[in-house]
Amino acid sequence: MKKFIGSIFEVALRELKKAFTDVGALVFFFIVPMGYPLLYAYLYSNEVVHEVPVVAVDECRSSLSREFLRKSDATADLKIISYCSDMEEARELIRKHKAYGLIHVPKEFSKEVAAGRQSTVNLYCDMSGMLYYKALLSGCTKVSLSMNKDIKMARLSGRSNAEKENTVQPISYEYVAMANPQNGFCSFIIPAVLIVVIQQTLVLGISMLAGTETERRRRGVIFLSSHYENPMAVLLGKGLCYFLIYAFVSLYVLCLVPLMFDLPQLWQPMDLVLFMVPLLLSCIFFAITVSYFVRDRESCFLLFVFASVPILFMSGISWPSSAIPGFWRGLSYCFPSTFGINGFVRLSGMAASLVDVKREYVCLWIQSGAYFLVSMLIYIRMYRFYDIPGAKYLRDKRAEVRERIRARISV
Amino acid sequence: MEFKESRIYRLSRREVVRMMQRPLYMLCMIGAPLFCFIYFTSLMKEGLPQNLPAGVVDDDNTAVTRRILRNLDSFQQTQIVSQYPNFIDARNAMQRGEIYGIYYIPEGTTQKAQRFEQAKVSFYTNAAYLVPASLLYRDMTMMSEYASAGVGREMLLARGYTMDQAMGFLQPIKMDMRAVGNPWLSYSIYLNNTLIPAVIMLMIMLVTAFSVHTELKDGSSKAWMEMAGGNVYVAVAGKLLPQTLVFCLMVCGAQIWLYGYLAFPLNNPIWPMILAGVLLVLASEGFALFICSAIPSLRWALSLSTLWGVLSIPIAGFSFPVMAMPPALKALSYLFPLRYYFLIYVDQALDGLPIHYSSWFYLALLGFALMPLIDLRLLKHAALHYEYTY
Repeated sequence: MKKFIGSIFEVALRELKKAFTDVGALVFFFIVPMGYPLLYAYLYSNEVVHEVPVVAVDECRSSLSREFLRKSDATADLKIISYCSDMEEARELIRKHKAYGLIHVPKEFSKEVAAGRQSTVNLYCDMSGMLYYKALLSGCTKVSLSMNKDIKMARLSGRSNAEKENTVQPISYEYVAMANPQNGFCSFIIPAVLIVVIQQTLVLGISMLAGTETERRRRGVIFLSSHYENPMAVLLGKGLCYFLIYAFVSLYVLCLVPLMFDLPQLWQPMDLVLFMVPLLLSCIFFAITVSYFVRDRESCFLLFVFASVPILFMSGISWPSSAIPGFWRGLSYCFPSTFGINGFVRLSGMAASLVDVKREYVCLWIQSGAYFLVSMLIYIRMYRFYDIPGAKYLRDKRAEVRERIRARISV
Repeated sequence: MEFKESRIYRLSRREVVRMMQRPLYMLCMIGAPLFCFIYFTSLMKEGLPQNLPAGVVDDDNTAVTRRILRNLDSFQQTQIVSQYPNFIDARNAMQRGEIYGIYYIPEGTTQKAQRFEQAKVSFYTNAAYLVPASLLYRDMTMMSEYASAGVGREMLLARGYTMDQAMGFLQPIKMDMRAVGNPWLSYSIYLNNTLIPAVIMLMIMLVTAFSVHTELKDGSSKAWMEMAGGNVYVAVAGKLLPQTLVFCLMVCGAQIWLYGYLAFPLNNPIWPMILAGVLLVLASEGFALFICSAIPSLRWALSLSTLWGVLSIPIAGFSFPVMAMPPALKALSYLFPLRYYFLIYVDQALDGLPIHYSSWFYLALLGFALMPLIDLRLLKHAALHYEYTY
């Protein structure tokens, strides 16, 4: 038993040394988690799309139509870059990607309003980006709502302003965007990206180390000490090593990066720490499991990098999980990131407590256990297959070398 | 000379044999792209997510408020899954992730509305989940407007207004929004048109870098150069020919799948898109080759290709527009082939413009494809002298 525990620490120490002397692994364990979140967050640092360039075609040319366009231009969402004389001119600007939307005020616009009929403003949106649509719609809707109110109030004469207002809008409403008050892109996608970065860099780094080991084993140039005799000890030792590294890395990724970019951070420290433990464990043993399929040092790039995108989409953060077909939802439960993202987003964005993310928390522990068992089986199989412990191989080899040296000396 | 005797043909045959020996290639060239076609298009099959779970807290509980909630439930995007006794319970449910939004009607709303003492309802969305939150926001805003207008309309109709007159009074200015090219507001159309080529592009860059640099690693690069008669251009052309064909097939297959089978908007013939697809393949290979020649290390070449390939996805600007990015990144976006493919797609497929509007984008892709001409000589040097170290 004592030897077993000793082996764990010895393996952990040796693996740490290995990780810190391997530039490839260092890149995955440190440079990528350090740089990538910064770059990604910087990309989205403007959070929302403001001042979307649009063109206006005003066929009405009345004070009312000018008021509408002026107010649209004044919203944060839109910016009218040109008042075109006809639709063709406006379309040409859109074709050339100078503008992404068109506001068309028809000829009868103010006449209809004056006659007490409903009049229409036509909006055309370039659908190359959903956010253009959102900006155009919300900008013009705000303007039309406020102008409608003014028009209606003007029609109700002989009452006090407060009375008018209540008549015009008997039920008012307010909207609160919880967890992400500015409805920003950065606060929405970055927390998810951070968890994916942790999982994927672990997968890539561990696979690279494992691939190197497999490659060397194939070529017979591996040297393992006697501490590598027990697969269980090796697995626990490796787990400990990566856990130690990622305790620091995830501190940076999950606490400092959000701090730098002013992302919501409403977690309780204890809850976050308690949540991180199964998250890291499940990611580590998941990584060790998949690293079995890596046969050499560099193939991890080809096997795992592209998976980050589907994994991010599977988590239910960008595409709502209620709309994910059952099969894919089932598959998403295989990845620690699915639960990690949903848990972390709610802990940090919505001030949820650990109790609120109980489901995710429990699932992460189950994953940790399951992947530990799977990687255990894989290790045992691998040990049998390659007849490791390399120790035995090494002992024979050393004996052989010693034998040879002795032979030479005696000659 | 017949093609079958040419160096390029022999090199290609050698490459096919090499690829057959490692299942990794097949997995990356055919498996991963196919997976992504099926995965992304089936994931976003609904186009616009429907029946998003929302909760309500109705402290008023009158015929009027119940009607409001029934109407809200009947909206396409909203599904009221639960009614909570108080706001705290609803908020806890949101924190547990059961619902994406809460519609709250305080006590006395109906009474106030009927007495014209402005009542106020509130709604909350969990904006950490941006897509469902904005869809619920849209439904809930519309519902609140209707609720207000509904009360007013009843009053006007009672006074003898016709429906047209009533609407003219209640909503003098109406918006008519036309989403040109994607009237269904389908997220599948909005994302998959670029996301799927993006993943293929990533695989192209990685496979190119991998297949060139494994020669150096395995120590077979001298034989490779010898077979090409010392001509690095022939060596590279022969080597990349088989995978270029496979990848062109994958990209064009993806386009036929998207525009043919799934009937995504395509307002021009398919040829401009096919051309863009083929150019994207060549551009990605060219860019990867450029990196490979400049950096004679398998791992670093793969790292850089990965960085470029993964970064392409956000910086192409199809999810978050480039115009809203910081200026430095706006400039950087010009260096990513995927950005041009996306712009061609917008012009040619979505908007159906004449091809000359996109000519610069095609030229840019061609430019990326020609990039290795700058430094391919370095690759030859590396192929003859490089030694892989463990």
